[in-house]
Amino acid sequence: MKIHQGFSPARVWGYLGFAALFFLVTWAWTIQIDRALGIPAFASGCVLFGILVFIALFSMRKRLSFLPLAPASRWFLLHSVGGFLVLFLFWLHTDGVGPKGFYGQLLTVLFYITSLSGMAGLVMEKFYPRQLTCSGAEVIYERIPGELAEIREQVESQVLNCTEETGSSTLAEHYLETLKWYFQKPRFFMSNIFGSHLSQHWVRQQCMILERFLDEKERAYLDRVYILAEKKRKIDFHYALQTLLKTWLLVHIPLAGAVMAMVFWHLILILVFFV
Amino acid sequence: MTVTTQVRPQRWDQPFGLFMTDQDVERLLTVPEISAIEESKFPTHCPLKGILKNDARIVKYSAGDIVIREGDYGNSAFLVLDGSLKVVLFPGLPGEMLGRRTIRKKSLWQALKQLWNQRKIPEVRDVKRYGLQALVRETNDLGAAHVFLQDVPAILDKNKTASLGKGALFGELAALGRTPRTATIFAETDAELLEIRWQGLREFRKYDQGWRRLIDKRYRANALNAHLRATSIFSHLNDEDLQEVADATLFETYGKFDWHLTYNKLQAQDKTQGAKDEPVIVHQGAYADGILMVRGGFARVSIDRGNGQQTLTYLGAGDFYGADELFRAWQGDTNVGMRVTLTALGYAEMLRVPSKIVEKHLFAHWSSKRDGVREVVAQTSAESRRLQDFIDRTLTDGALMEWAVEDRFVNGTQAMLINLDRCVRCDDCVRACSAAHDGNPRFIRHGKTFENWMVANACMHCADPVCMIGCPTGAIHRSMSGGMVIINDDTCIGCETCANSCPYSNIRMVSIRDEAGQFITDPQNQKPILKATKCDLCADQISGPACVFACPHDAMRRVDFRETELDENTSRF
Repeated sequence: MKIHQGFSPARVWGYLGFAALFFLVTWAWTIQIDRALGIPAFASGCVLFGILVFIALFSMRKRLSFLPLAPASRWFLLHSVGGFLVLFLFWLHTDGVGPKGFYGQLLTVLFYITSLSGMAGLVMEKFYPRQLTCSGAEVIYERIPGELAEIREQVESQVLNCTEETGSSTLAEHYLETLKWYFQKPRFFMSNIFGSHLSQHWVRQQCMILERFLDEKERAYLDRVYILAEKKRKIDFHYALQTLLKTWLLVHIPLAGAVMAMVFWHLILILVFFV
Repeated sequence: MTVTTQVRPQRWDQPFGLFMTDQDVERLLTVPEISAIEESKFPTHCPLKGILKNDARIVKYSAGDIVIREGDYGNSAFLVLDGSLKVVLFPGLPGEMLGRRTIRKKSLWQALKQLWNQRKIPEVRDVKRYGLQALVRETNDLGAAHVFLQDVPAILDKNKTASLGKGALFGELAALGRTPRTATIFAETDAELLEIRWQGLREFRKYDQGWRRLIDKRYRANALNAHLRATSIFSHLNDEDLQEVADATLFETYGKFDWHLTYNKLQAQDKTQGAKDEPVIVHQGAYADGILMVRGGFARVSIDRGNGQQTLTYLGAGDFYGADELFRAWQGDTNVGMRVTLTALGYAEMLRVPSKIVEKHLFAHWSSKRDGVREVVAQTSAESRRLQDFIDRTLTDGALMEWAVEDRFVNGTQAMLINLDRCVRCDDCVRACSAAHDGNPRFIRHGKTFENWMVANACMHCADPVCMIGCPTGAIHRSMSGGMVIINDDTCIGCETCANSCPYSNIRMVSIRDEAGQFITDPQNQKPILKATKCDLCADQISGPACVFACPHDAMRRVDFRETELDENTSRF
């Protein structure tokens, strides 16, 4: 058995090709309606509505994992391709020009924000997993607070042991003044998101600053604290990236819901006043 | 400085039967089958009396109690001391009667109903259901219970059965070969049996000629021919030739039968040694003196590489090695040695078919175009080429297999392999699992990782399911349809034997609750009632394993590592 890592290129290109063909056919249809002095926006609107409903069904499908409705991965692929297709269809429907009324403008803004959030999510889902793997640690998101608390406990015990064994409070003072801030909760959120090495630099710097004030015994304790700080850095990295991976949907789904609600109302208005 | 001391642990610190007395042992020595054993042949560190006291126990069964069930894995054999037993030959008892779980696929409507019928409280059970299926009878032994048959006369009417009386020995082949029991045996009358665990049985076979002859004869008569017949290179032989091959075949055992007990300890050790610590079956470059066939367990296939061993693949039950080397030597090639090293991966039971027999019954005919022979030759050449491909692989290409073998994931037939480069940690798989199991996820999306791969803590439905050994009620069993390892919640008594045996920690004990959310407790000691839970591969769901089905990024697969090959070309999307 071969493990196919991800989607088969043939399938992806096939879906993209189909979407392109679908768009071209819809476009040709609207041109034909226009030439027949009809209202092409009715046709493009119906198609757009159909595709929007279809891509919104993906969320429903996720809740029905026990029904044989094709694998979620196929739905995801269709959802992504469909998402790009609706962008083009929306452009066709609005004739490339933004609507003039407030309602239409609000709907347009919401639609584009939803699309952008979807694309941002797609990019994150493509690039973040590999970065998480490369961090060299693996942690379940819900367990992060527990893991951090455990690290903090270990660090504090090292600091206390150092004070007790060496009779020197240098490490303990430095911990209270500086390092405690770092170990208290996840830090360097933004730098982790953008893949900067700021946190690594900060930890190394804090340890280097202290090193020359310590004797050999204390340095051994500092080394252990540094190892724990490095461990925490990796967990912070997971925290930042996994937070984004989990929360972008909290933007995308409510926005998509709002767009669908507005589209329904828009459809009702059209049916009542124009048809 | 205070020195901590401890009496060195001994083999029999934990006897098989807690209540075996010296009087019991003396009584057993009067039983003809035991008294025939020459006590003097046993070494002083392993006396016959010691074996009887520590590796055996006397078990009493009431009429109707099931002693062994067809399909169960067990590690002990039984000698009838008193009473009469029945072997169910044909057509066999239905699963429900044996305490098995009946798998019925949900209908579309039942599947859909899960959407709103899911409970918010974890691990809720309908207590009344347990009462209706009172198949389990408690016994006086600690942690033991028997499943009993409710209507013995009807069973005798409907099935062809055979009787076993005083002095009959059974279950030894399944115990020594770690193969499923082939028949169900129940007590026809109240019966007293001597149950001997495999360690004791192994010593009997080792030190007593009579028991060895008996066990080997039974294996040759009952199982070896079938095993050879099922092996491709011998499948074309006629009955007479096959019998000759069977008569000449040698039995060999390597490693520890109960490898799972020390697995976690071994995993914590430095693993750079790898195959070096394992019992060697055959060395690379050694003279090929026969075909080696795996009867039970696993054998690691490796080659020398630098200062270590590179794992190429592994052999499981039914696989063989050495035919190609023997054939080339027979054809006149000089200096033909084994191309690889075989070592026991935990435990391996091997059959060695000597070269003379192979030459006589196989190679002499391989040039002929007889039906069946051509296919065998072609298959052997293909296997040989495949092995060469493994040998030619780079260290990087073979790294995943090396890891899977080292961590014994190769035991799994449905290991949950997650590609972390694709997994967005959305937990849709866990939610889907939960939705398919009444709100209770049956795996943890966490586990050992290697490069971008993770084997999550989900039941792997092992080829060698050590979790099934010792289940007193047969609640954990291999499904006859589909082969997955499943637990019958109704007959699970919460003894934790399976959870403790699973080397991969993939079985979880849970405290069950009633519909109101209250813990169900034992009225005698007020302790919560426990049940063993694990992945059942969504046996009753129409969509198959919900976890794989629900992954939007195609990051998860249920795999058998040997059949797994990474397709790097498709990683672009």
